[in-house]
Amino acid sequence: MKKYTVKTQTQSTAKFVADDMILTKDIPTCAGSKMLDGYVSLFEAEVLTRLADKGYGLAGKTDVGEFSIDLLGETSYNGAIIEDGVLKNATASVIKDGEVDFAITLDVNGSVRRAAAQDGLVSIKPTYGTVSRFGTIPVVCSGETVSVMAKTADLCKEALSAIAGHDDKDGTSLPQSEIDKTKTEKEIRKVAVLSSMLKGVDGKVSEKLNNVCEILRKNGIEVTEIDDSVIALSSAYWAVLMSAECCNNVSKYDGVKYGYRAQNFMGIDELYTNSRTEAFGFLLKSTILLGSETLSTANYVKIYDKALRMRRVIVEEFAKIFASYDVVLMPACSAFAYGEEDMKNTYKAYEENFYTAPASITGLPAVVVGGVQFVGNAFSENSMLSLAAIIEKEGK
Amino acid sequence: MDREILRRLELLNQLRLTEEEKQTFLEFFNSKKSNLEALDNAVNTQNVERMVHVMPVMTVVREDVVKQPFSRDDLQRSAPETDEGYWCVPRVVE
Repeated sequence: MKKYTVKTQTQSTAKFVADDMILTKDIPTCAGSKMLDGYVSLFEAEVLTRLADKGYGLAGKTDVGEFSIDLLGETSYNGAIIEDGVLKNATASVIKDGEVDFAITLDVNGSVRRAAAQDGLVSIKPTYGTVSRFGTIPVVCSGETVSVMAKTADLCKEALSAIAGHDDKDGTSLPQSEIDKTKTEKEIRKVAVLSSMLKGVDGKVSEKLNNVCEILRKNGIEVTEIDDSVIALSSAYWAVLMSAECCNNVSKYDGVKYGYRAQNFMGIDELYTNSRTEAFGFLLKSTILLGSETLSTANYVKIYDKALRMRRVIVEEFAKIFASYDVVLMPACSAFAYGEEDMKNTYKAYEENFYTAPASITGLPAVVVGGVQFVGNAFSENSMLSLAAIIEKEGK
Repeated sequence: MDREILRRLELLNQLRLTEEEKQTFLEFFNSKKSNLEALDNAVNTQNVERMVHVMPVMTVVREDVVKQPFSRDDLQRSAPETDEGYWCVPRVVE
């Protein structure tokens, strides 16, 4: 399959790619879906405008799984990237191969963080609202965040500082005075490891976590394992909110004004149904149906409303932890390679988001480095990236 | 969830699943629902306020100025079928 679409002209020396959830005016954006195959946006995403203004050159677009809700991109209409029986992520592969300096991605359901962890790269999912989502394809509006992936923490910091900032065009963009808080760096002295989040990881992931803990201790940072039963509930409730929002956001794809239209239909209802049935993959269809049912009269209070209340409980639980610790350390995935068995399981992404959901549901920043994930307090991204630079250096 | 509810959901969402997909989805949904029901008593949220936005969100206002950023031709560039500036759909009124 194709890893990325190359843009032919770029004069800049600092090159980057954008994943296919980010709208571009002169390259098609299809979000990994047959529904948007060949779709060309009429406007550019705000993050790309900001990078172009600062002299960064867009080298091309990388493929994503359908609406980026899967493991690593395996549900893309263009097919999965499999190397030696192992599933690979297009964006991470392009960075690993040294073709570009960094990538701008939309972290919808954690695939960006899983990819960075599995390919030994660094990624930053900033605090929700610090980077404009104007011109990104909406899937889970209350949790998805424009993120950066690169080979080093310094490159992540550089790219993040170029794209962060208030944008009037995005209703969820924070005021500049709030975003400026990210400029204040605080030295990280205390790290909490949540024992409940270590569930299900394989030996290699455990080893990486131990290595990182050793590096932290060597640098005089206190590492403490703590018991917490609430954060581990994030995934169950994130699945509810993600599917409900996804169901609403993709309801507009009906084969009328743009996107895929089925060849055969009798009447308008069949046009809608056949177009959506032929264009959408099974994981997306399942997510739509799950979301639709959680929003139904029978389940709204018991499931959806409960999930919204649980989001506050989880946010408050993190706040309690951050009263005593600077960051939380947890895995980003259960294993460093997904094989054929994982790909056969349609719902594997719903299992793997156990590790990525805590930062998604709370909007807290998360840094992946050395194969592990740090989740920090709001606006602590630069502090976490400085810590990531230490881990990078010591881990070599 | 049974097959009747699933059929209603397919209709509502303008989607069709194959027989095999229906079975797989029903198992997935029922397992998710049982898990959520089992968790229901883990944390009492009766007095907890819902959190729709994780960050304070303000209403964004702008000057009430008429703008025409895109032409009709541009907007119809990605349309499956158009005719003289109209989007074409099958006959809706019998």
